[in-house]
Amino acid sequence: MNVSVNAAAADPRPAAFYLRIVHGIKRRPWIARLLVIAALILMWEVAARYLVDPMFLSPPSRVATSFDMLFATPGVPAALQATLWELAVAFLISVVIGLPLGLAIGLSRFSYRSFMPIVMLLYGTPQITILPIFILYFGIGPASKIAFGVSHGIFPIVITVVAGVQNIKPILLTSARSMGANRWQIFRWVVFPHMIPSFFAGMRLGMTGVLLGVLLAELYVSTAGIGYFTTMFTQNFDSTRLLGLITTLAAMAVILNEAVRRAELHFGRWRRFEAGRQA
Amino acid sequence: MTANNIAVKIRNVSHQFGEKGDRHHVQALQQTSLDIARGELLCLIGPSGCGKSTLLNIIGGLVKPTSGTVEIGNTVVDGPLPQEIAFVFQENALFPWNTVLENVMLGLMFQGVPRAERMARAQKSLAAVGLADFMHHYPGQLSGGMRQRAALARALSLQTNILLMDEPFGALDEQTRMILGEDLSVLLARSGKTIVFVTHSLGEAVFLADRVAVFSARPGTIKDVIAVDEPHPRKPEFVTTDKFTTLRNKLYTLLHDEIRRAAAEAGERPTAADIAT
Amino acid sequence: MNDRGSRRDRLLSRLVQAAFVIGLLALWYLATTRWGVSHLLLPNPLLVWREFVDVLSSGEFLPDLAVTLGELAIAFLISSFSGVTVGYLISRSQYLIRVFEPLLAGIYSIPIILFLPLYVLLLGLGPASKIALGGTISFFPIVLSTIAGFGYVERIYITAARSMGATYYQLFRYVLLPAALPVILSGLRMGFTVALLSILGSETLASLAGLGHRIVHLAESMDMARMFAYIVFAVAIAALLNTVVSALEARGKRR
Repeated sequence: MNVSVNAAAADPRPAAFYLRIVHGIKRRPWIARLLVIAALILMWEVAARYLVDPMFLSPPSRVATSFDMLFATPGVPAALQATLWELAVAFLISVVIGLPLGLAIGLSRFSYRSFMPIVMLLYGTPQITILPIFILYFGIGPASKIAFGVSHGIFPIVITVVAGVQNIKPILLTSARSMGANRWQIFRWVVFPHMIPSFFAGMRLGMTGVLLGVLLAELYVSTAGIGYFTTMFTQNFDSTRLLGLITTLAAMAVILNEAVRRAELHFGRWRRFEAGRQA
Repeated sequence: MTANNIAVKIRNVSHQFGEKGDRHHVQALQQTSLDIARGELLCLIGPSGCGKSTLLNIIGGLVKPTSGTVEIGNTVVDGPLPQEIAFVFQENALFPWNTVLENVMLGLMFQGVPRAERMARAQKSLAAVGLADFMHHYPGQLSGGMRQRAALARALSLQTNILLMDEPFGALDEQTRMILGEDLSVLLARSGKTIVFVTHSLGEAVFLADRVAVFSARPGTIKDVIAVDEPHPRKPEFVTTDKFTTLRNKLYTLLHDEIRRAAAEAGERPTAADIAT
Repeated sequence: MNDRGSRRDRLLSRLVQAAFVIGLLALWYLATTRWGVSHLLLPNPLLVWREFVDVLSSGEFLPDLAVTLGELAIAFLISSFSGVTVGYLISRSQYLIRVFEPLLAGIYSIPIILFLPLYVLLLGLGPASKIALGGTISFFPIVLSTIAGFGYVERIYITAARSMGATYYQLFRYVLLPAALPVILSGLRMGFTVALLSILGSETLASLAGLGHRIVHLAESMDMARMFAYIVFAVAIAALLNTVVSALEARGKRR
């Protein structure tokens, strides 16, 4: 945006106006972010319309207006619903098993030293390699997707719960003991509340893991569910509906992640005060 | 000191960490004995690692000494005595996930105070330390000085006869220490509690204490006990008097060699050879 | 707590772990030989071992391994160069950091594997789509950690250097780079791990070659023993690569 000195002298109003806009954007990064996203969508639109064969990339304008066609495709809403259901169940199971497991491992020095290395070893293996085994064992229905989701989501929960229990500052335990707290009271009022922010952080990572596991399994099974449609749309070069489907799933992921993140922010408030203090 | 005026009897307490011959063996305390009078404020001062905090923990029943006994009243100490003894630690002993008020009420619950009384007692002790307006804040939102006031309020609310304070102002800056020290003196003059106070600061010891027990370097034992004959509450101007300076100098003389000895043992002291290279 | 007690505890923990591993192997063996679990579900571990040895000795794994490692190398090269460059450029301005960091973190939080069908549509089933996806996914941890590394250098270091008259180049070489390096190295390690996982993943889902594809192929032909052998092989390769990369990271950090 070139504003020469002469132009400014001749008509100051447009220059000041532009400067005010730029200043406003500089003060509010979220506007800049929206602009960046808008710019990316614009590039997508231009690329899809003029640079790439429409068979390969559909412009966002067409994708947006074709959602009704996508959802009218028989089986698509059902597949999406099934996926959502699998995500919820897998997450629930991960939490219900992960929390007590993490507590059991973290509360005793002995069980931590015995079992934590096993957990870390399993966590480090690339689970994608055994996806075919999950499908072989659990079938192509929801069970395998849920199982694979749990197997991804449970680890962050266990690991963060263990950390939350283990890295409690000894002075807090000493303090409670000096005031006469018994073992149950120490667990209920000191260890457990200390662990909660870690637990919620673990749930956030667990949700990411569950999303990954369930979606991987879904995409793998090309004979039913989401995988069937992604395969079909790909083979038919139907990039419009494919992008629509991907966008819908991405939106689902964003909403679920955001929900857990909000929960974490709420329950982890005191951690941020502490962190702010130490900064 | 007559027999029934003694609050705490420390008899030949020795304590070691680890076994002799272990890599981590440390003789923290060696044959320490002391009588603490009811209602007096006794300071424990000494070089780092001399065992004063260990002794405090032993008095409070948090640590069992390898030999020797501590008696409170007529009972031998064998574990925490929450009805008799309250602690104030150096820092970070407030639960960060509870507000200040909740922290104090939790302490009362641990001690066994019925639910109906907890709120009132908590509010009263927080008001006494000047935190009435900050009851619903989280420790992370408060300054260091305010956090230690809250820790003190928690200890006071327990209404014990004995208060054990382990370098409570150690993490604070000099000005905050000064203010808190003066406020503490006022508070305690009214309460008549027996207080054992561990500190590194010579000035703080002379300002607050009725007696100061000076520890030697590790293995720690009480080298000398100095009396500070000045009524409580101590006026801030006490610090400027000759009496104060004399006592402080006396402490310095007693301590200086011990401090150097402790530092040399810990390998901190540079020798001339180190500086030359 | 005395030394002798804790040494005994540590020994006991090791025993528990050993018992766990041995127990698992024993269960596996018994399940297939004594308890009649179908060999179509769970192959005999001895058979798996034999297939594993066969795969290694015959060199059958080579073409697939070459494909996978080749895809990994190219994808990581692309993502590391672009990630560090873009991350550095963003880190130069606090404003840019505030704009882009949440954006990048937000995108990274969704499973980008979702875009695999799109990449396959655009680039086909060959290595190109795997490289593109692997590069895309591993870009994010690298760029985010580069931003974190350069962008959050303690102000006091920069102030001190400036006060001593450092030029920008000197500031970069002697202050920013050493300060940022540990974080960036962590990010590169994460990027590498993530690239490997996404390449194995995309080979499993839609590919004609590579280790992931080989495992799927064996699953479809119900050759369970050989499939298990390849799974063990892939896991071993992944573990090896991760160990090497972690060691490199540690080496880089030590200086």
